[in-house]
Amino acid sequence: MKKALLLNIADPGIGGVLIKGEKGTAKSTAVRSLAQILPPRTVVEGCPFRCGFGGEGGYCPYCMEKIAEGRALSPASSPMRVVELPLSATEDRVAGTLDLERVLKTGEKRFEPGVLAQANGNLLYVDEVNLLDDHLVDLLLDSAAMGVNYVEREGVSFSHPARFVLVGTMNPEEGDLRPQLLDRFGLSVDVAGDLDPKKRAEVVRRRLAFDADPAGYMESCAEETGRIRDSVSRARGLLPRVEAGEDLIDAVVSVTSRFGVDGHRADITLMRAARANAALDGRSRVEKGDVRSTAELVLSHRMKRRPFDKPGLDGAELEKCLQSL
Amino acid sequence: MPAEPVTGGYPFSAVVGAGAAKSAIRCALVNPAIKAVLIRGGGGTGKSTIARAIAGVSSRRIVNCPPGVTEEQLFGGIDIEKALRDGRAEASEGLLERCGGGVMVIDDANLMDPATLASVFDCVATGEARIERGAVSARIPCDFLLVATVRPGEPDLSPHMLDRFDLCAYMEEPGEGERKEALRRGRDFSADPKGFAERHGREEAEEAALIERASRILPAATISDGLASIISELCQRTGAAGCRGDLAMARCSMALAALSGRDEVTKRDVEEAAALCLAHRRGDAPPPPPPDRGGGDGGEEDDDGPPPSGGDEPGESGREPSGEEADRPPPPEGEALPDIEEIMFEIGRQFRVIDYIGAAGERARRTKARKGRRAMAESADGTGRRAGHRIPAGRARDVAFDATIIAAAPHQRDRDRGGLAVKIEEGDLREKIRERRCGCTILFLVDASGSLGARRRMAAVKGAVHSMLRDSYVRRDRVGLMAFRRDSAELVLPPTRSVEYGLRKLEELPTGGRTPLGAALEKAHGYMSSNPGRRQGERLFIVLVTDGRANAPLAEGADATEEARVIAEGLASRGIGWIVVDAGLSYPHFPDAEILAERLRASYFRLEDLDADGLADNVRMVLGA
Repeated sequence: MKKALLLNIADPGIGGVLIKGEKGTAKSTAVRSLAQILPPRTVVEGCPFRCGFGGEGGYCPYCMEKIAEGRALSPASSPMRVVELPLSATEDRVAGTLDLERVLKTGEKRFEPGVLAQANGNLLYVDEVNLLDDHLVDLLLDSAAMGVNYVEREGVSFSHPARFVLVGTMNPEEGDLRPQLLDRFGLSVDVAGDLDPKKRAEVVRRRLAFDADPAGYMESCAEETGRIRDSVSRARGLLPRVEAGEDLIDAVVSVTSRFGVDGHRADITLMRAARANAALDGRSRVEKGDVRSTAELVLSHRMKRRPFDKPGLDGAELEKCLQSL
Repeated sequence: MPAEPVTGGYPFSAVVGAGAAKSAIRCALVNPAIKAVLIRGGGGTGKSTIARAIAGVSSRRIVNCPPGVTEEQLFGGIDIEKALRDGRAEASEGLLERCGGGVMVIDDANLMDPATLASVFDCVATGEARIERGAVSARIPCDFLLVATVRPGEPDLSPHMLDRFDLCAYMEEPGEGERKEALRRGRDFSADPKGFAERHGREEAEEAALIERASRILPAATISDGLASIISELCQRTGAAGCRGDLAMARCSMALAALSGRDEVTKRDVEEAAALCLAHRRGDAPPPPPPDRGGGDGGEEDDDGPPPSGGDEPGESGREPSGEEADRPPPPEGEALPDIEEIMFEIGRQFRVIDYIGAAGERARRTKARKGRRAMAESADGTGRRAGHRIPAGRARDVAFDATIIAAAPHQRDRDRGGLAVKIEEGDLREKIRERRCGCTILFLVDASGSLGARRRMAAVKGAVHSMLRDSYVRRDRVGLMAFRRDSAELVLPPTRSVEYGLRKLEELPTGGRTPLGAALEKAHGYMSSNPGRRQGERLFIVLVTDGRANAPLAEGADATEEARVIAEGLASRGIGWIVVDAGLSYPHFPDAEILAERLRASYFRLEDLDADGLADNVRMVLGA
């Protein structure tokens, strides 16, 4: 689970992660704790959508306007955040809507940004994503696919960049996710409660220590946190230089076809994940091992399964496939 | 208000594979009479990419239409700014108008409200948008190309809607080589979109020039009477009702001819056009199963293929189907009329390929099962999609400000505004109507006693619950299972949308013992009435699988069967829909289950007549009604 999250921070283009697991398996805790290690981004100063400085991912209409008027955009550093989408959110709060105060005072229509605007360049976290209302799911799908939030409602016609890392958690007992949304998640992980009593005791011990003295506990982890933060920022810097050569392409396609996964999205995601994995490791060369250790994350939710099939990937099969190259 | 942001698109010519989709789009760009193109294919096969890539090869602007669009946004409503400033009611520009002469892209068109989609098609057909809203009445010309994408697996578009798409292209399953190439290009594109586009600049320009040249040829393109009548016959044979198919085929084959630089339509053009125009129009029958599965459904669909010809076509020796599509030799030109059987055969072969693509990885679903629309229920808790506005009955809680302001706008000049820009009075207030999709909760109440021919019956019942569970996560239904045996009914599976969880419980279902029918009816009804986790607007159904006979009465010494009937009568029409599936033997047949169904005012089916999927379908029909 940690790895899936880190890969996504290293390369937000991977397309998010779906975390499946029963209650009390620290799904939400892991996602919320990410705030500690998220690297800062360089954004356009004063932009309500925090457009990436340098035009990566496209500009919002306001920045476009500035550019058209010949005004210079200035950079600012903004921390990457975890933005939560509550299940009870209404559509207009998610997509954004008409700024009513403004309309009433000046008679001018203006867009009031919603959660998707906040999520631009950030992590969008949906707890219990399988219980999200259909119309909200449709909204998310649309933005996640295009990287742009198109709003056409209540007399507002507006669009702005909405590139975010979608992180969803769900308890599979509560129901499945629609196949459309499932496919959009770049990675998926199944988390299970630990059965080892020693480890469980360790979890309890740590939690008690945290409750007794949160600040002190954070302090004691600061070094470790700092190390992870550094390795993530380093990976982000390294990523553009990580090579993705013919070997990688061969490995990726042979794995995806071996496991009968359709569509180019799986191929592209596996390639990206393998690269991000190499970058996190501080290497600028992708190895077979990178494909091996990310394949399950990418493929397990895309494989066609019959009922009663075990979830997950056949490790031996994967090994055979990689060896044969 | 500022316009849309610029996003560098993927070049049209750089899309790997997708021959049919490219061809359909080219035709539509060449022939303006082709107004709607549908692209179907699984997730991540590049449907949206190719639709948006049109920007690279055509000067027409591309407008995105989200599936959740409101009618007001499509057609334009009142211009709020004008209304507030000048007190005039004027139509504002809607999406359709903005699209003028351009291309409208709708992703996942099957998720769109069918009524909204229908009105889009209305504009496509008439070439103008008619706006009749409050104080505004206007006709706005809107001429555009509609490109929609749909993925299989979700509820499909209705056959009626499908027919309104002139062309329909299926995304082919890419081969390994293609996958690698696509991956390479995807990598290069994301690393450097601009440089990538420049590298493909020449191909892109050639593509645009090809379309441009074809558009100039098109007005001169002709189709011989012989081929025209062949087109009509093909449409008839494939069961394409109405003449939209004929027209689309004629238009498409003319565009194809023009694209090859000819002004005369040939047999090949017709063949290619058939794949694009007829595959989605074939009859009402379900798609045949993929070739590797010996399913029984869709048997009549085989008529689509050619009759097994005895090789009596004159002059055809080397035209045996070689199984795979090899490059076919160009057909001899300038002959006598082409043989219709032969074209039929060619089309049949293409359809088989299409069906295989369409069915690969997706379960074949019956058209019948789709008939019920997903029910929408008004939602009062402020969540759900906005469906309009109205004058509130009492105090307005969820105020629709735009509508309120519009209502107030014409009066602003006469009102004392007291320094405010807008003076809103009580009577101007409008509230939002919100609705949300609501599923059903379906409880299977199954006789698990020994009196039912036990195992064989249970297999059919399990099959049905199984198939409904599989459906449920798509349809937002929750399915539960209660079994009765010995002395009581037991809730085996609380209503769930989880397939795996449900299936596990289903496997373990124990059987045998006496039949406490009356107790079961009461318990099931009681459970559903107090259904935990029930959502607003959700509809409740109980599917009772029984032979209608009981032998374990509630009251000591009573006639159990008669008692169950009395209980049934008392439970009928109390907010829950009942469906009775008669699991009794067909011979000798006893009418007990029928009587019970009558008392419950339930729909009645016989297990005999239904296989597992059939049972699920029939339950669906009742739910949809």
